[in-house]
Amino acid sequence: MATEALGEERPALFLRKATGLVRGWSVRDSLIYACLATNFVTLGIYEFTFAGPAFPQGQLITAVIISGVWVSFLVITYSGLIVTIPRAGGDYVWQTRILPLGSGLGFVMSATGWWFILWLWAPIYGNILSVQLFEPLWATLKWTWPGGGYAWFGTHNGIFVVSLITIALAGVLVSIGMAGYAKVQRWCFIGGLIGFAVVVALLLFNSRASFISSFNLEAHKLFGANNAYAATNHAAAKAGYTTSALGFGPLGPTMLLVPAMMFFILWPNWGATLYGEIRGASDFRRVFTGMFAGLWLTVILTVIFLLLMAKTFGWGFYQNLNSLDYNVTPQFGIWPYPFMFAGWLVHNTAFQVVLILVLSLWFFGWVGTLFLSSTRVIFAAAFDRVLPDRAAEVSEKRKVPLYSLVLMLLPAVGLSALYAYNTTFVTYTLDATLVIAVTYLFSAIAVVILPFRKRELWQASPASRIKVLGVPIVPVSGVITIGLLVFNLVEWIKNDNYFVNKPSSFVYMGAMYVLAIVLYVVARLVRRSQGIDLGLINKEIPVE
Amino acid sequence: MIPVRVFFATDIHGSEICWRKFLNAASFYKADLVVLGGDVTGKVMVPITTHNGYWEVVLGGERRRIESKEELEKVQTQIRNRGSYPALMSPDELDHLSRAEGAVDQRFGTEMLAALDRWLDMADTKLGGGRVPCILNGGNDDFFEIDPVIESSPSVTFAEGKLLDLDGFHLVSMGWTNPTPWDTFREAPEEELAPRIDAVAELVPDMERAIFNFHAPPYGTGLDEAPALDDTLRPIHGGAVMKPVGSKAVRDAIVRYQPMLSVHGHIHESRGIKKMGRTLAINPGSVYGDGVLQGALLELNAKKGKVTKYLLVNG
Repeated sequence: MATEALGEERPALFLRKATGLVRGWSVRDSLIYACLATNFVTLGIYEFTFAGPAFPQGQLITAVIISGVWVSFLVITYSGLIVTIPRAGGDYVWQTRILPLGSGLGFVMSATGWWFILWLWAPIYGNILSVQLFEPLWATLKWTWPGGGYAWFGTHNGIFVVSLITIALAGVLVSIGMAGYAKVQRWCFIGGLIGFAVVVALLLFNSRASFISSFNLEAHKLFGANNAYAATNHAAAKAGYTTSALGFGPLGPTMLLVPAMMFFILWPNWGATLYGEIRGASDFRRVFTGMFAGLWLTVILTVIFLLLMAKTFGWGFYQNLNSLDYNVTPQFGIWPYPFMFAGWLVHNTAFQVVLILVLSLWFFGWVGTLFLSSTRVIFAAAFDRVLPDRAAEVSEKRKVPLYSLVLMLLPAVGLSALYAYNTTFVTYTLDATLVIAVTYLFSAIAVVILPFRKRELWQASPASRIKVLGVPIVPVSGVITIGLLVFNLVEWIKNDNYFVNKPSSFVYMGAMYVLAIVLYVVARLVRRSQGIDLGLINKEIPVE
Repeated sequence: MIPVRVFFATDIHGSEICWRKFLNAASFYKADLVVLGGDVTGKVMVPITTHNGYWEVVLGGERRRIESKEELEKVQTQIRNRGSYPALMSPDELDHLSRAEGAVDQRFGTEMLAALDRWLDMADTKLGGGRVPCILNGGNDDFFEIDPVIESSPSVTFAEGKLLDLDGFHLVSMGWTNPTPWDTFREAPEEELAPRIDAVAELVPDMERAIFNFHAPPYGTGLDEAPALDDTLRPIHGGAVMKPVGSKAVRDAIVRYQPMLSVHGHIHESRGIKKMGRTLAINPGSVYGDGVLQGALLELNAKKGKVTKYLLVNG
């Protein structure tokens, strides 16, 4: 029996060789995952088109930094949960184990937050693929097929078709498994960073005058627009839009940008799992560092991007481009993709195309995980007998989770149709963030009550020993995270500018919760009629 | 014929809280029979050094000074509940363990057997000297010295390599697994596992009523997904990449013999259920470190030769 001693001067414990004694996963992997999840290109820049014009008095850089600081407490909260109950299954496991009414509540929160709402993320991703890859690529290459060229991707049919492509892509990637995709993901991250570095260099080493002349030249070449830079500013002014200069205040309107920033900055914990059974003090640090570094890398990249926009594009011009897209109609009939415009600084079509393709790696490095969490929730629910056993079946031959794919893909296709053809539905983008935030909220509540509900588990956790001035910071961070999530929920619900509080939006979100509750209740009744008590699943066996 | 209710758990790895729960599972779930599928012993030994009037221990990276016997008992319980062995020793003994070749192994063995003895005494009390049938076998992480200790218990039946008749069902058990990166006790290449399985399977008179209790899950069934590791045993790609690590010999045996039920463990994170032809294969997984006893609650009908109900539980 070979053994290993762990400790500094004298060993603190001895391990014998046994199955499953693995080392914690690397901080670098965790960082990449967190940075791709809080994807400032795919999600961040997409959101800025809406956020800047919707809250013109707010300051984006300040909002991003405030969001980063606040979400850091969410990182501490989730690090605490991960090292205390380190299991794949995340929120579902934590909520079912810790919260009162755990089984039903855990199912409803995980089904809505990690499954149903992903149906809406599919067309949102589709739209992002459209505006960050197909539209700029078609425009740059002046392709006219299909009818209307690049503009076709902004039509109802265009949005629907690209959503279907996205759904198919995500479905195929779920089917082939993460092994191959994880390698792709790493290369996408590296490629995406290189692409961003090129953009930084272009914007850093070119003056605004040089950008204005390049913008005018390329806009004329591609869209036949004359003096496009001035025309953009003029059109925005004519529409009555005025933006404030880039700065750091005032705080009030800037705080209103925070709920919009959550669209990309709320996800550093997306891949939150930890393997390894021997948990020590270093585990908390390792888990926290990966997610925290990923989050702050995103914040730093975002701030660099915004400062360079101000320097080379001109802050007013960048916001005017966004405001035309948001308030009137997009300039040149195309979504204002800043990286495409940055590429115009080099008057070479091949370079511009390559830059667009390389930057699309930020999208392709992440889209494969779109349905990954949904598969896990469906499998967990099937193993818990809430869903029919068939939902967890995997085909013997091709290893494809056929039924769970159907449960994800079909509704996603339906939602994509709504998103593409219903002009109101497309504005419910932040619903997709809100529903997941509600799921997070219950996990944050779980961490706050953990020391009281599961005293022994908490005391044995490395998280209980992370203290500042003798106060354990994990539950305190849970309280601050609850504050973050409640603040966002209140703003989303009361402020019309987020487009969340329309009656039909509430009906849509409410329907998801009703569906989850109905599924759970029906499952309990059906299983009871079969003599199976689902209430037993998480009932604790007495020790004495 | 009345259906038989079975509670199956596995891989408790020395967690005393899980063992206590296991002993209470029969009354809690109204089970007629409880089965523990291997990997009973723990992986970690925590030295507690004795000093003049106090003790010292490092828990979770934090050094603690223990002033009273009551506190010492509390700490020992805490260590045991998480699946570790508290080992009282002098600082000189600890130095000796750290340096002397084989000393740790020897002490580990002593602690494991002492704990097992205590556990079996608890079983005698809880299970009323065999009134509730309780079946145990080894897993790949259990050293062989535990076999005779379990074998000698009046309340527990040691199942390794045997055919057990249970109210019309036939249970055969094997704790051996295919090779792991940790080179554990009961592991063998696939080509050696197959004859081992055949040797026990051939004892079964009627496969329609057979239960395979094989520690290794069948390969590629979703019951055997573990994080892919690099050469240093670190999960690759953030632990997001899983790979099948079960036994092909076990899989072949299930496909060929088609028992009514096949229960497994070994891969803690791969809790799940898989239908393989007429066989229902189950791995309830394990989270012993959290003090939660995961298990499968099964209702078997001997007349129909099938599993009529099943539920994975987190007790």
